[in-house]
Amino acid sequence: MRKQFRDTVTELAEADERVVLVFGDISVFLFEPFARRFPTRFYNLGICENTLVSVAAGLASQGFIPFVHTIAPFVTERCLEQIKIDVSYNRFPINIVTCGATYDYAWDGPTHQALADMGALRLVPGIDIVQPGTREETDQLLRARYNSGTPTYFRLSDHSHGVSLPVAFGRGAVVRDSGGPVTVITAGPILANVLPAVEALPVNVIYFSTIKPLDGELLSAYAHTRLVVAHDATGLFEEVCAHAAGPVARIGLPDRFVSCYGTIHDIRREIGLDPEHIRQVVTELLPLR
Amino acid sequence: MTPTARAAREWAIRCSRTSGQGHLPSSFSIIELALSAYAVMRHDPEAPRWPERDLFILSKGHAALGYYCVLAQLGYFPPADVERFGAYQSAFGCHPDRLKVPGVEASCGSLGHGIGIAVGMALGLRIRGSARRVFVLVGDGEANEGSLWEAVMVASDRRLANLTILYDHNRSQVRCLQIPNPTERFVAFGCATAEVDGHDDASLVAALRQPADTVKVVVGRTVKGYGCASMEENFFEWHRKSPSAEVCEALLSELHAKAV
Repeated sequence: MRKQFRDTVTELAEADERVVLVFGDISVFLFEPFARRFPTRFYNLGICENTLVSVAAGLASQGFIPFVHTIAPFVTERCLEQIKIDVSYNRFPINIVTCGATYDYAWDGPTHQALADMGALRLVPGIDIVQPGTREETDQLLRARYNSGTPTYFRLSDHSHGVSLPVAFGRGAVVRDSGGPVTVITAGPILANVLPAVEALPVNVIYFSTIKPLDGELLSAYAHTRLVVAHDATGLFEEVCAHAAGPVARIGLPDRFVSCYGTIHDIRREIGLDPEHIRQVVTELLPLR
Repeated sequence: MTPTARAAREWAIRCSRTSGQGHLPSSFSIIELALSAYAVMRHDPEAPRWPERDLFILSKGHAALGYYCVLAQLGYFPPADVERFGAYQSAFGCHPDRLKVPGVEASCGSLGHGIGIAVGMALGLRIRGSARRVFVLVGDGEANEGSLWEAVMVASDRRLANLTILYDHNRSQVRCLQIPNPTERFVAFGCATAEVDGHDDASLVAALRQPADTVKVVVGRTVKGYGCASMEENFFEWHRKSPSAEVCEALLSELHAKAV
């Protein structure tokens, strides 16, 4: 998805001279062609995430469309107040595009895990939150929303769920409608684990690439079913609970630091977000036959 | 003290009295710094959003009352507008909101934020090849925040000659983390730095007019509560205090005694 970000934003920058990139010394090699092509619109300012966000807000105040990019925890959890005040309260709209979603860098341990990013940002008034699950979703959502006039958080991952789904900002998608009594709600790359988990079960799967604003209309179409959120991040469960009338089950992040290293797949297995455990939880939610 | 500076302070005392809100000592240390910046800036109080204007950001947003009274003196709005300072549905909050107050370019209050925004504004103007400039007023308490020094590093690294930082060296942090030698620090950070009496308009304007080929810093040696002896002596007590009717008159007398 990061390469897709580069390709899409390069095209956007060609057509729209307001596009400016503000980087925190991450992905710089990947963007070398961009920097050569648009030398006055690429700024690798330094490892100073607070200032990246504030500077981007200042650029937005002068009519630019800034993209701030670095690793997710550094530019969201560290800079929450810059995002809240400099960007959102001031109404200086910027795009924040991150890599290193949740456990992408499992081997790096908890310092490099983005846990609170979407859960915290959804509490900041006036911010849109997007979590693409494929390169195609990344491309379409960036194009659709980069100049929306609303601050937008694009949470990219190194992993893809590999399923081609209809993509529209603010709209969820029905991945599977079995007419069953249980609906699994998911977002982003973890769909890759949800689909094998529900195989041959009477279970519906709905998918959101926009976390905020959540597609409440799609959710309400499944309000008569038992809802369970399966997500390897914060934000979606909270948004679903804010919309849902009844109880919502959750398969998600544990309330502890997961410092077992390894790969994202090791961690997903460790915390029960692997297909087998998701299947077990969903099966328990199904009524006895 | 110039008549304009005295009038701004007098109105701040009266508004603090009527509103029950404070931050007078900090407001009083910035009056000449702000007035001097506007003296060298291109701006039009009749057209606050004039596209060719220079930009002023009060990064230490808690000095809002002093700043509002300066803007009122410059003609951005009638001084009477400020009387409901901090009141329900007033446009004039205890920290300024750029969407409510004419002349305010960024909403600031939490310290260490406005300067980063100012760096972005200056960078944006440079990308455009614009001759417009950015002036940002920061406090020495604010310089406790790491984000301030991040922003200074970036501004210096990018040699933002269209950015001027006014540093209100009012020694507000003597009870915790006072930076004793801000001029040395800004020089060490690569800024074109001058230190002057922060209540002397002529020195300030001369320093602000000095050409520089990188980010400029004017360190103003200031006094919290400048102009009212009782506040200068007890600025911690006065940090958020609003004067009673009796004390209000006493402060005004002190202010006029200083002006004579």
